[in-house]
Amino acid sequence: MISVRHLTKRFGSHVAVDDLSFEVAAGEVLGFLGPNGAGKTTTMRMVTGYLPPSQGTIVIDDCRLLQQPIEAKRRLGYLPENPPLYPELTVRQYLQFVAEIKDVPRARRRVCVDRAIDQANLREVAGKRIAALSKGYKQRVGLAQAIVHEPKVLILDEPTSSLDPKQRVEVRDLIATLRGEHTVVLSTHILPEVSQITDRVVIINRGKVMAVDSPDNLSQRLRGREDITVEVGGAIAAAVRDAIAAVPGVTGVDVEDAGPDRVTARVQSDLGTDIRGDVARTLANRWRLLGLRSETLSLEEIFLKLTGDSELKLTGDGEQKLTGDSDQS
Amino acid sequence: MRHALAIARRELQSYFVSPIAYAAVTAFALLSGYFFNSMVVYYVRQASLADRQIEQLGRSDLQLDVPTVILEEFFKNQGSFVLLLIIPLLTMGLLTDERRKGTLELLLTSPVRPVELTFGKFLGALTLFALMCVPTLPYWYFLAQGGDWEPGVVLAGYTGLLLLAATEIAIGLFISSLSENLLVSALGTYGVLVAFNFIDTSASMTRSIWVDFIQFLSFHFHNAEFARGVVALRDITYFAGFLALALFLTQRSIESIRFKRS
Repeated sequence: MISVRHLTKRFGSHVAVDDLSFEVAAGEVLGFLGPNGAGKTTTMRMVTGYLPPSQGTIVIDDCRLLQQPIEAKRRLGYLPENPPLYPELTVRQYLQFVAEIKDVPRARRRVCVDRAIDQANLREVAGKRIAALSKGYKQRVGLAQAIVHEPKVLILDEPTSSLDPKQRVEVRDLIATLRGEHTVVLSTHILPEVSQITDRVVIINRGKVMAVDSPDNLSQRLRGREDITVEVGGAIAAAVRDAIAAVPGVTGVDVEDAGPDRVTARVQSDLGTDIRGDVARTLANRWRLLGLRSETLSLEEIFLKLTGDSELKLTGDGEQKLTGDSDQS
Repeated sequence: MRHALAIARRELQSYFVSPIAYAAVTAFALLSGYFFNSMVVYYVRQASLADRQIEQLGRSDLQLDVPTVILEEFFKNQGSFVLLLIIPLLTMGLLTDERRKGTLELLLTSPVRPVELTFGKFLGALTLFALMCVPTLPYWYFLAQGGDWEPGVVLAGYTGLLLLAATEIAIGLFISSLSENLLVSALGTYGVLVAFNFIDTSASMTRSIWVDFIQFLSFHFHNAEFARGVVALRDITYFAGFLALALFLTQRSIESIRFKRS
């Protein structure tokens, strides 16, 4: 649905986005992650046709953005970081105007506006001036304008960044309801949001793609091994360590006493080797198995690992590489 | 064109909930009414004086066709002073506000071409100005009570006024595309309009090809012809050319905003 190839944006000598490529499948929700100044907004603006790229191609639903901008823009809904609102208009007047400039046929305009109002849960404020609405409602109006023309692609730039926690949950739930109906690209630096609503993430830093994958896969790939933690009752640490070490596929064990009569062990194995069943059976035969869980890197850890270490880059084939791009500015 | 009409309609909606628009409409009505009333009082007095001179001396140096003189002076005055005060108020927010509020991003990521945006904004402001002129129509009914006047002269006066206003709105629109600050937009427009309205005042003392050229650049010079009831192709071409240039520059300016780093 979206294909971005070798996208570059230069402002004078400053390279804001550097040879960035990614694809988004139809119906997918892609998270766009990066620290402030990483080039997220510049990328969003190029993908929506607001900023012309210095180099590269953008294809939206088979329309080349630079060659067929009007056609491509009809397929796009965009919510910038600050919702683009006319505070003097009522919510309904505003959405009618947006529907008109987004080429919604006159006969369908009322239906589309009503649908957007319902989807964004704005029915009770539809007749109110936008200036009188709370920040959360304004953000909903921004979302409603992005979907009023039923676009195939939705680009949302930090849609929850300036909201309080309650409003954030409301807007996040609203975005979740758009899944499947639209292909969504969501830029954010709020990490829990990404793991909750996106299928895949693109992590960028200093204008370059550091990683593209699902949060789970990223976690495994960055760790480079499988880790599980087990808790056993009625055992002593040394016996537990010996028993686990004897399980085929185990490459390392760290044990510690976790209280009277309880032992906790972190067990490592090679990437792609699932040892959970064998470890569970071994322990349960001799002691009381109190718990077993797979360890994954949190998105925060992934993010910090990738954006904090600019030499580390995950390529599409799943390998970690040293890229030597740390000196760009 | 459909987009331009939608943008113009939205502009008018916004004007009528904005205090600035009401201030401009009120100021225009008050100033027009004040100047019209002053002219009527002044020229009627002059006419009475002329009548008394004829009664006492059998002749008078004051030969006044009062309705015609009032018509001419009214339209010249509207062009030189009233528009100068009103147009910067109408145009200062046109694109400056879109940039400040971030709604330019909405417009330029929609299937709207910069030329449609330019024309829509221009049309919205010009429509408001045309509506502002409506309260001046009864003046000609009152004037008809005092003597005959040529409807063609009134028509020429309004044509000149609308062409001048359209040109000045296009200039204001262009200047509003250059800044995110309302005051800078308003003062910039005011400065350019003052320059083009009064560029010929210092040149009127002597005559040379340069003086003629400077006079030709003056808005006042061309509007004065319309105010006299003369509709000449030269004056129409002058305003149309200026208008087209300002709209073209606005369109290019909108395109260039997208290349700037924000």
